[in-house]
Amino acid sequence: MPNGRVFSIEEFSTYDGPGIRMTVFLKGCPLRCMWCHNPEGQRFETEIARSPVGCISCGACFNKGAELTGKPSLVPESASVCPRSLVRVCGEDMSPDELCAKIEKNIAILNMSGGGVTFSGGEPLCQAEFVLECLTWLRGKTSRAIQTCGYVKNDIFTRVLTECDYVLYDLKLMDDQKHKHYTGVSNEMILQNYRTLAASGINFITRIPLIPTVNDTAENLSATAQFMREVGADRIELLPYNKLAGGKYRMLGRDYVTDFDEAVTPQTHMEIFTKYEIEVKVL
Amino acid sequence: MTEAVKKALAELRTGEYKKERINNETYDMTEKFVDTPNELRSIAALEDMLAHETPNILKNDIFGFNRRNINTPYYCNSAGRKIRGGGGNLTPNYIHTIESGFEGILKEIAENPNSGDSQKVVFYNAMKRFIAAVLEISEQYRVAAEASGNARLAKALAWVPRKPARSFYEACLFFKIIIYVLRCANMVHLTLGRFDQYMYEYYKKDIARGVSREELLETLELFFISLNVDGDLYIGIQQGDNGQSMVLGGYDKDGNDMYNELSELCMEASLELSLIDPKINLRVNKTTSDSRYEYATKLTKKGLGFPQYCNDDIVVPFLIAHGYEEKDALDYTVAACWEHIVPNCAADTPNKGTMDFPGAVNRAVHEKLTSCADFNELMRHATAAIAEDCDAICERFRPKGAPGTGNSHYSPLSLFVDGCLEKGLDLSQGGAKYYNYGCHGAGIANAADALAAIKQVVFDEKAVTPEELLAALDADFVGYEELQNRLLACPKMGNNDGTVDDIACTLMDAFVNNLSGKPNGVYGGIWRAGTGSAMEYILTARKCPATADGRNAGKPYGCSFSPAITTRLNGPLSVIQSFTKFDMKKIANGGPLTMEVHDTVFRNAEGEKKVAQLVKAFIHLGGHQLQLNSINRDRLLDAQEHPEDHKNLIVRVWGWSGYFCELDREYQDHVIKRTEFMV
Repeated sequence: MPNGRVFSIEEFSTYDGPGIRMTVFLKGCPLRCMWCHNPEGQRFETEIARSPVGCISCGACFNKGAELTGKPSLVPESASVCPRSLVRVCGEDMSPDELCAKIEKNIAILNMSGGGVTFSGGEPLCQAEFVLECLTWLRGKTSRAIQTCGYVKNDIFTRVLTECDYVLYDLKLMDDQKHKHYTGVSNEMILQNYRTLAASGINFITRIPLIPTVNDTAENLSATAQFMREVGADRIELLPYNKLAGGKYRMLGRDYVTDFDEAVTPQTHMEIFTKYEIEVKVL
Repeated sequence: MTEAVKKALAELRTGEYKKERINNETYDMTEKFVDTPNELRSIAALEDMLAHETPNILKNDIFGFNRRNINTPYYCNSAGRKIRGGGGNLTPNYIHTIESGFEGILKEIAENPNSGDSQKVVFYNAMKRFIAAVLEISEQYRVAAEASGNARLAKALAWVPRKPARSFYEACLFFKIIIYVLRCANMVHLTLGRFDQYMYEYYKKDIARGVSREELLETLELFFISLNVDGDLYIGIQQGDNGQSMVLGGYDKDGNDMYNELSELCMEASLELSLIDPKINLRVNKTTSDSRYEYATKLTKKGLGFPQYCNDDIVVPFLIAHGYEEKDALDYTVAACWEHIVPNCAADTPNKGTMDFPGAVNRAVHEKLTSCADFNELMRHATAAIAEDCDAICERFRPKGAPGTGNSHYSPLSLFVDGCLEKGLDLSQGGAKYYNYGCHGAGIANAADALAAIKQVVFDEKAVTPEELLAALDADFVGYEELQNRLLACPKMGNNDGTVDDIACTLMDAFVNNLSGKPNGVYGGIWRAGTGSAMEYILTARKCPATADGRNAGKPYGCSFSPAITTRLNGPLSVIQSFTKFDMKKIANGGPLTMEVHDTVFRNAEGEKKVAQLVKAFIHLGGHQLQLNSINRDRLLDAQEHPEDHKNLIVRVWGWSGYFCELDREYQDHVIKRTEFMV
């Protein structure tokens, strides 16, 4: 049975599907969206994050590394010695049984609110076997959702869909060249899987993180709306860019670099979706 | 919001009217009353106070009865101790007087067979003197209102408080007169109680004679504004702790929902005004509709720190089990903070003493750990320590002489507590129906966490010896940082962990079994156990040395019934499950689970709905009381740096809401530290 690598579990997630959602964030993503606000979800490897604000530079974290490996460095054990709790291990390996046992403890409350579980990331379908195992385990117990960028082989996607009750699907950019530039990959497979999803009869919602000047143009949103109509999708949620997006890069020792202007307010162009008779909501 | 309300709100917010107040710091009547009989000194002091007061009606005010003098007079009790009157933290019976008028009350006294009793004539005369003083100041207000062209107020005062109120406005005015005068006797914790129930007849009458809902909303909003005018003067422990709590909704004995149009109006007024008073407590139960929770969540979103939720399904059985008549239990209200009390007829003191859970456990650990063969033995010593402390609390608060003798003064409050007038006995002499004591229970999570950590580290893993652990505690973990981290990483209450939650239940059982129902020595009263901490999560904690949960000496406990502040929580679903495992019907004196929800959770209607679902889940799981705060941490931090930009920032600190910038630094820090559940 495959183990999964999880970087966070949120018990009370209010924007990841209907009702109260318990959201499991799986580590590792094939995309490198320039605006990604969860940098600790990008790499599959376990990482050690050290938040800068409030650090008193006591050196305990690096000393722990020196003690264990011979050279001053961050090690998983550094987390427990930081007097300010600023060091955190991102990425915990667990079996489907372990994860589902955690979920099961909350199922009664989740169900009471019409909610359930959402697998997010990172990209949950990067760990498709693990996710599938969990989804199967949870069948009939609660509502099961995935939040995906759709960048996965169609046969895998199709298999996972059979165990989903709800899907949140990102359509980031319709222009393939731009998609490659901003996310690092082509959107071909993503659009193909979207067709599969629309044809599957499974309840789903489309989402766009609205990035100023990148994908909030009338051109891109019209193309999105047109494509949605074409496959028969009728609901979309727009998530305007949040300036806090870069907030977590420093703790990983990385820089947040973008080539778009963060200060510009994203355009929602609600009228475009209304014109195509698509129900649109801004989150 | 009407123009009149906007104007009154603006006047309140500028605070200009405060310049008209007289700062009479040295108002000392000790000498003057030295020959006054002891039991009449409080009445004499009140008369003196009212003689110093002059009518104070704001420009956009239809209620008046605002304080001129900041302080009430000092006088001394028979032991020679200087006091300023006081008393309260109960819900008086306002409506009986509002419906009778003071003339009606005087008639009641005259017709009472006891009023001829020579033993009781002094009491009745004291009450009559009180009424005369109220009528006197009311007449002064009538004249002043007329002179200033405030026709509506002048006209109403030509009728009330002598005669029974005839309209919703007159009833609210009557209410304001009563609390104004009682506060002139320095009673600061008078709660509004079930305002939506006892005022409902007036609401219906007005509607029936053609007054519109809008007009009534305006009157109610002006009344709420009026309650805020002097709110800063009636402080208990800190600003905001003024007792002006209001209870809405609740079920009757047949399970009928009593939430009515007036309850709705109160919620609407509170939502529109965003004022700190009155603080709303919502009575809910298994049948409460989703829409009720959703509307209440809008109020939470305002960041006022209320509503606080109380669960009828828990509180009513708790009260009945503690000897309250069913009709009284069903009528329960909330005292200044969270104590569940019954209105009209009780003189309970719901905040006597505190069970210091971490202190008791720590004592057991220090005295017995080295001799314990296994963890169960340590648990037995911990529960024995709690039992000892229960006995000590009962002993400490047992009245030394016969009750009602010694230092008691006749209290004007007796006029508003059922039974006193009828029996001719003051509150202090047994005139009321209930004289129970409530005891707080502070730091349950820290105590359970400490034992769970010892179980794991000392007994299960055998990673350290009892001696090493005690040495680390004695050293406040200096030089034992690694052990401290190990203890901090053990299972904690709030994460829905069976082991630690079971330990907490055992400790609470020890508390309940050794305290609840024990006589308190006051007119047949008994003890009730609760989960509040009042100030003790800071004050007692300050004196408590390092504990085995990894907490350093002097650091605060979790506030009331909440996780320890250093606990890294899984999230709110685990928290509400951890804190509903115990049968709360046994320990419902009051003391809420407190959770902060970051304001981003409320971004849209969907977020609001989900927060409402969380509250509902807590109630369905058997939670007794919940406080939900909407706090943006960044805003709080900025407020510490730039208080000038955050003057209206209100937080519920423990039982009450206060202006953040007015709180001591230590309290500010605590609010900031409480774990947030961020999206």
